[in-house]
Amino acid sequence: MISSDLEGVLPKEQIIHPEGEPHVLGNGGAQIIEVLSEEDISKVLAYANKYEKTVNIIAGGTKRGYGGTLEQADILLSLEKYKGIVEHSVGDLTLTVKAGTTLQEISEELAKSGQRIALDAPWPERATIGGILSANDSGPKRLLHGSGRDLVIGARIVYADGRVIRTGGKTVKNVAGYDMNKLFIGAMGTLGVISEITIKLRPLPKYEGLALLHFPNGDGENIRDFAVQILDSMMEPVTLEVLSPAMSEELMGKNAYTLAIAFEDQEKAVIYQENWVKENKPAAAELTVLHEDEARGWWMRFRHIGPNGHNDDDNEANTQAAFKIGTNNLDVIPAIETAESLASEYNVSVQSHGGAGHGISKVFIQGFPEDIVSFSKALRAKIEEKRGYVVCIHAPYALRKAIDVWGEKPAYFPILEGIKLANDPKRILNRHRFVGGI
Amino acid sequence: MFGKKSRKQPKDPLVRKLMDIVGENEVLYLKEDLVAYECDGFTMSKGMPRAVAFVHNAEEVSQIVKLLNREKVPYIARGAGTGLSGGATPLGGEVIISMVRMKRLLHVDLENRKAVVEPGFVNLKLTQSISDRGYYYAPDPSSQYACTIGGNVAENAGGAHCLKYGVTTNHILGLEVVLPNGEIVEIGEEGIPDRPGYDLIGLLTGSEGTLGIITKITCKVLKNPQGKKTVLAYFDEINDASQAVSDIISAGIIPAALEMMDQTAIHGVESGAHPVGHPRDIAAFLLIEVDGIEAGIDDQMNEIVEVCKKNHVREVKVAQSEAERELWWANRKTGFSAMGAISPDYLVQDGVIPRTRLPEVLTKIGEISKKYNLRIANIFHAGDGNLHPLVLYDARVPGEAERAAKAGSECLKVCADAGGSITGEHGVGIEKKEEMRFIFTDEEIEAQTNIRAVFNPEDLLNPGKLFPEPGRCVEVKRAKAQ
Repeated sequence: MISSDLEGVLPKEQIIHPEGEPHVLGNGGAQIIEVLSEEDISKVLAYANKYEKTVNIIAGGTKRGYGGTLEQADILLSLEKYKGIVEHSVGDLTLTVKAGTTLQEISEELAKSGQRIALDAPWPERATIGGILSANDSGPKRLLHGSGRDLVIGARIVYADGRVIRTGGKTVKNVAGYDMNKLFIGAMGTLGVISEITIKLRPLPKYEGLALLHFPNGDGENIRDFAVQILDSMMEPVTLEVLSPAMSEELMGKNAYTLAIAFEDQEKAVIYQENWVKENKPAAAELTVLHEDEARGWWMRFRHIGPNGHNDDDNEANTQAAFKIGTNNLDVIPAIETAESLASEYNVSVQSHGGAGHGISKVFIQGFPEDIVSFSKALRAKIEEKRGYVVCIHAPYALRKAIDVWGEKPAYFPILEGIKLANDPKRILNRHRFVGGI
Repeated sequence: MFGKKSRKQPKDPLVRKLMDIVGENEVLYLKEDLVAYECDGFTMSKGMPRAVAFVHNAEEVSQIVKLLNREKVPYIARGAGTGLSGGATPLGGEVIISMVRMKRLLHVDLENRKAVVEPGFVNLKLTQSISDRGYYYAPDPSSQYACTIGGNVAENAGGAHCLKYGVTTNHILGLEVVLPNGEIVEIGEEGIPDRPGYDLIGLLTGSEGTLGIITKITCKVLKNPQGKKTVLAYFDEINDASQAVSDIISAGIIPAALEMMDQTAIHGVESGAHPVGHPRDIAAFLLIEVDGIEAGIDDQMNEIVEVCKKNHVREVKVAQSEAERELWWANRKTGFSAMGAISPDYLVQDGVIPRTRLPEVLTKIGEISKKYNLRIANIFHAGDGNLHPLVLYDARVPGEAERAAKAGSECLKVCADAGGSITGEHGVGIEKKEEMRFIFTDEEIEAQTNIRAVFNPEDLLNPGKLFPEPGRCVEVKRAKAQ
């Protein structure tokens, strides 16, 4: 029996035999293995690979509803307790950290030295750095700071057979060999288990400001025109995030499309840019300005909207799902408007936001499962008309089977499959979790 | 004369087939024409290609690739040939697919901040094409007036301003690629980020032309900063300059550029085409540029000047005009070639270190210089720890070129041992294949060649580059024989 085998591999305190129904989000395991070290990960994978056991990977569980058509693998490998900072080189602005460390733990530690990871992904107290990078999650500030692929400079990866392979290095510039780091960011854990990550840091901003522009008439053209105007100015917004009326309502009690424009700079430069917004904004748009703690507090609330893998409701009528939409930068505005109009058509409730300077939107939706499925199909059809894409980043297991999580396979799918087989020939890691069933 | 005659009737049947695809006048095959393609900007290794074909579109590239696959002939894609590690240099017998005729700017969409170019489009031309509307393309390798964006993608080129703005890979949104099986694929269609699938754009960028041939590139473009200030800081002690670099970064300032040059390098640039009048007796200078919202720039610059003063700077000079700023940058960007004024030959290295290790690494490079009795000038992107030790030598002196190569390799070992890398922006190419072992185990190299095999299973596309091979000795002998 597999359990006794694994008990020979790791101490039995680290092996949990879950009881009861499988998790509503699926992506579970017949046994849960809690690893405490890279060596543990390596041993478990070597074992699983040898006996062709499938392995699902988890840490904070915030992405549990993201992809995957396996309700249960043989093993659920949990990195939740594999955490801690390995090395923080303050003068080099680099950090090496274990994958199971939450973004908040990292942020708190770095703040002591006036530094940060410039990633503003949601649910920072639960989401781990390994999970954020594996799912390539990001937040509005990617407009200026980039996303995971722009920040990671090195990693230690445990391959499917248990070998530890280093990618990249510890320097901010490095072109020795292939840029293997990139393969594992957004790979949904299908190519290896990220063990340690070395990441570029940024100084904490000297001063933060947030200009919130509410557009009461809900006229997308107005928002677009102002976004174009600011993008074409020499202002340096850190975000240019459009919020749907329902999202604005929840955050600010204002039922209107809102443009959230953040600035991070010397105080004088922040104030100068806020004044620019005041002078150039459309007359009808209402402006609220927040600074420092107030601005940070607002963003923290922003990061706590939507599903997090732990807040699904048992009531079918409140089933929740989330979608990530990629479009041309300025098509974010029509994308959010499309989500709004489809929501009333399909009788679901929707909150959404998207970056007019980076092209990524997220839509959080609640309703009956069948309505969510219809909504998602209509949304994808609309977005694809303008060559964008839609990915379902959260849905209960039962619903994921009805929603095409990733959309059509790309034309170059054989290359993706080839890469998968080069790293994980027996397909044990997060099987069927990724595009095209990889 | 005999050239003209044989041009009509090339003996090599492969040349005739290439002509059928790209046109009769678009293939070079005579020895005197091929000599120019024996190497790129790394001149220590040379090999004769079999032919050079100038392509005009992706379809031609695809047809050539399919032809060469059938014939089992290796091939290399080449841009302007400005690479510094031999990535576009033949080992002998390859067909070179020259991308220089594919040089159109296809589309500019400033509202969505992107531009689509063909691979032969020259880096600087992109900025020039959009500067009238206040936009630019950020990656700025020193050779940007000549190098092509296709080559930049293949090498993941850097430049002086990547400290704040990142390297090429941070500015590429989409690629059209001819795979080694001849298939034309588009990745990152429309330049829309995060499309589902492994990050092939990230993988191809910097793959030194071994995974596919890039035929179209969607680049990110940026709006010019509102303000910019450039200063020169002269130091009497090199350690003070190094410490100032660390202290600037630790103070929470990310300058747009933070460059350093030591005394030997200063002698070189002051004897070159763009002398600035740097004092000859200083140990090093820092060239620092900050940019951004004007209202915040003076505060940033004041902090930087304070840091320099704390580190015993002799003098800090602010550029008084755009002309002065441009002169300083010309002096810096032509730094490598200026070494020609003080040495018959030079070898550029490209190590990277964590920037806090600068002082000790510079000391060790000084020791290497003494050991090999060769001057080593240091010009580097100090802000991101990317060193360019220039080993000065005279190839006419027997054995000196070999000594220079050894000294260069030893510099890389020092960087690797300090927790760094053997190349920050020039690539591995032919030059640093063996040095890959300084930083990667055999298993880690194999993990990479396994990925190469997915794209390029027969290793016909740019073979013998990037990775050390067990059969290396055999190859060296073959190259020498040719």
